[in-house]
Amino acid sequence: MNLDEKTRPYVMLALGLCMLPLLLQLEIPVALTVTGTALLTTIASWRNPLPGVLKILLLVIVVTAVFMVYRGFGRDTGCALLAAMLAIKPSETQTVRDGRSLVGFGTFAPFSTYLLNQSPTALILGAIAVVVAILVLMRLADLENQVDSADWSPREPLRATGKLLLTGLPLAMAAFWLFPRLPTPLWGLPEKSVSKVGLGDTMKPGEWSELLLDDTPAMRVRFQGTPPSSQDLYWRGTVFWDFDGVEWKPDSAAAIDTGGRSLIKTTASRWHYTADVEPTDRKILPLLEYSTAVPEGVRMNVDGALRTETNMSNLTRWQVEAAPAALDPTPLSRVIRQRALRLPNDLNGRTRALGRQWRSEFGSNDEGIVQRALDTFHRDFTYSLTVPQPGLHWIDDFMFQNKVGFCEHYSTAFVVLMRAAGIPARVVTGYAGGFYNKTGDYWLIRNSDAHAWSEVWLNGRGWTRVDPTAAVAAANIYDTLEERAPGRIGQFDGFQRLWEVSDSLRRGWNDFILGFDAKRQAGMFKRFGINKMDSSTLIALFVIAVVIAMAWMVLLLRRGERVADPLLRAWHGLSKRYAKHGLAREAYEPVHAWLDRITRARPENAAAMQALAERFSAMRYAAVSREKTAQLIRDIKRFRP
Amino acid sequence: MFKRSGKPLWLKLERFVRRQRVDTLPVHIDRRRVYVLPTRFGLFFGAVVFVMAGGALNYNNNPALLLALMLGTAGLAGLLTGHLQLSGLVMRGIHADAVHAGDDAVLRVSFQALDARPRTGVMIGIDGQSAMLMMRASSESVVELRLPMVHRGWHEIDKVSVWTTRPMGLAHTWSWLYPVYGWIVYPALEHNGPPLPEASADASRMRAAQGGDDVHQLRAYRHGDALRAIAWKASAKTGALLAREYEQAVQADILLAWSQVRQLPHEQAISRLAHWVALADRQGRRFALQLPGMRAIEANTGLAHRHACMEALARLPGVRA
Repeated sequence: MNLDEKTRPYVMLALGLCMLPLLLQLEIPVALTVTGTALLTTIASWRNPLPGVLKILLLVIVVTAVFMVYRGFGRDTGCALLAAMLAIKPSETQTVRDGRSLVGFGTFAPFSTYLLNQSPTALILGAIAVVVAILVLMRLADLENQVDSADWSPREPLRATGKLLLTGLPLAMAAFWLFPRLPTPLWGLPEKSVSKVGLGDTMKPGEWSELLLDDTPAMRVRFQGTPPSSQDLYWRGTVFWDFDGVEWKPDSAAAIDTGGRSLIKTTASRWHYTADVEPTDRKILPLLEYSTAVPEGVRMNVDGALRTETNMSNLTRWQVEAAPAALDPTPLSRVIRQRALRLPNDLNGRTRALGRQWRSEFGSNDEGIVQRALDTFHRDFTYSLTVPQPGLHWIDDFMFQNKVGFCEHYSTAFVVLMRAAGIPARVVTGYAGGFYNKTGDYWLIRNSDAHAWSEVWLNGRGWTRVDPTAAVAAANIYDTLEERAPGRIGQFDGFQRLWEVSDSLRRGWNDFILGFDAKRQAGMFKRFGINKMDSSTLIALFVIAVVIAMAWMVLLLRRGERVADPLLRAWHGLSKRYAKHGLAREAYEPVHAWLDRITRARPENAAAMQALAERFSAMRYAAVSREKTAQLIRDIKRFRP
Repeated sequence: MFKRSGKPLWLKLERFVRRQRVDTLPVHIDRRRVYVLPTRFGLFFGAVVFVMAGGALNYNNNPALLLALMLGTAGLAGLLTGHLQLSGLVMRGIHADAVHAGDDAVLRVSFQALDARPRTGVMIGIDGQSAMLMMRASSESVVELRLPMVHRGWHEIDKVSVWTTRPMGLAHTWSWLYPVYGWIVYPALEHNGPPLPEASADASRMRAAQGGDDVHQLRAYRHGDALRAIAWKASAKTGALLAREYEQAVQADILLAWSQVRQLPHEQAISRLAHWVALADRQGRRFALQLPGMRAIEANTGLAHRHACMEALARLPGVRA
């Protein structure tokens, strides 16, 4: 059966809506190519299918475009190829069967979108796409069942779609919460071939200027008990040891798994918090310095950096304990000391000379050297995200000419100075500060909070955090600037309030839906006093929930059977009660004929029934007040034959 | 090794469903006789949902899982909806008027619902023809099917199928009803056939009839005689009302006999006789029908006579070619 003129646009609309969220996630050139191809094939094949050669040609063009943008095969490449296939598919959509398979395959588009992105926009667009897809499937079924399309309007099917989705909702929810989840994936999610800017495993000066303007959330943290002061809100990402003059790299030797033990031995009061980390597709887990226990599935390097076992492609929730750094009097081993002092030999001679000069000035007073460096920064330097192009000796340029930069420059220059002065030092990247959402009582850490700071080894104290950027622009780091509050426009703080509420909702959604996994599922039953939920009990619970939900579905769908008029409903109920005695009212039977039958069979009921029947007749055929009707309904319901 | 039966799956299924069942009207379609099987698209849709759910569970991707679950449960609700479209329907009756072979028999099947759910787009199929049942909440509806009738004779419907693939086209929801109902299909009328064969002379006779022109005789007035038929003069003479009785030459009865058409091919012969029956009936002539192997139908007129003759013709055994 062929698609008619009225249905075809709806099929294409459904496809378009399914593809929309996916297209928004693809690289712009690919998204444009795919959109263009989809429009072209849809228009060109409106009346007749496209010739096969043309289809192959289009396929070649789109696939080439995909591989030119995505160099290599990853999750995003796969999604782009799916979009490309969907774009060409309209060229052969003529029959009801084609339309169905098109819509069926189309639903993969929102699915693959969620593999790339789980933002509210993607979710809302995906939900719209699913509703329209079901609507179009209904239209196609109507066409197949010869329901005329001439007077077809989407309103009634839209209602029916809503009904289907809502009746299915309890079952979907039961399956969502109770279906046994995998604690670890059976097969891994392929990586993206083009990764987003963010905290990485390397650091080059100047490369973060984009990241520092990105206001999207990186994680949300809620403290149980007192939160740390803003000077302690440092979220530790990667620790860099090796510098080649241009790029910082982590030390592979430092990545020793501490096997879940924490490096912190402290008696200080601890911070307990829950962190919901947004997906980054990296293994870097930026938690508060310093975690005293390492969560499952995470390893801690000897430098305190945390790494997950798999890429964090979903929102993850971590329940963590952290403590302020304790004094560590153990001396530094010779190997690590050497590593923490190493500098590329022939670069940035002036800076290194300055470091050596400070060493000779201060003697063995390491703290003095550190303070001197901070004073220098504080006095002469300014903070800016717009920096000149780095040259070969860019640290010299920064220190003695430009004197402007941001955290990457300050931390690098500081560490180079310290190393030149003979103080072991390293660069730490991560996030600093955060915005406190009063409405939701949690801290929001945004990508723009990305930060690089330094750590120096001081005798008797161990690794000590020094933030040279804070010496220049403390406000930029600790979020004390009012203008840096999210959602704030000028002096008007209504928008900020609104923003806080909406971000709280987002956190709730994350908490409720996105962050739900095997761990949370097991924890869900703790509230009911069940500490250990084995999988067989879970499956049994799941089955019970499914049965209840299905029964609920049947009940909801059968509701159409109900007679609308409550009086008639009560009257039919009465007939049902008489059915037990073989005296149900037949469909053809008028009230009085029925009454006669009852009188003959059960004379003891006659008088009461007579009264009820008379009142019923009167109310059916004459206008009577609502109270009287309600009273009659009550009386009928109460009557037992 | 078990022996494979040669029957197609569809027939085996029908056998399983039917189990020698004959339904007496009204037939109530209850849930025990509504069957739901996925369509090919339904299987594909199921596979899509399954793949999505599997992938989502593996990657612990909750939005994707919700998407798969919503699609899946909406599909499931669709199956239930389809089931409820059929269950609760009652087939009240079937009626078909007699037609000639070559015409369409118009079969009217009336339905009623036991509940208040509206039914829209339920298909009713008989003998490869189908029509749609549209029923508003708590009402009755009659479906009209036009079945092309090729052969004369007795026609019985094998089964009435009631089905729908709504609301989403995922499943074929159907029920088979086996009411016993048949109707006669008259033979096709010969197109542009010859005029009626005239009766032989000895069979013709004069018969008194009203409305003729030749005055024959006077008789006593009978109730119902026309005023102008009263012979006023003669009545005045005799003192009693007399009416004029007219006489007309009535055409003789026609005998339509098999022997007259024996030279024609069998079916054409039957067609010729049917044509004559129709022609004679239209002209208001009395005719008798003599067919081989049965008692002759005596000369008569009227609708019942025409039906009797047509039916006799329809029931004539065919000839093996």
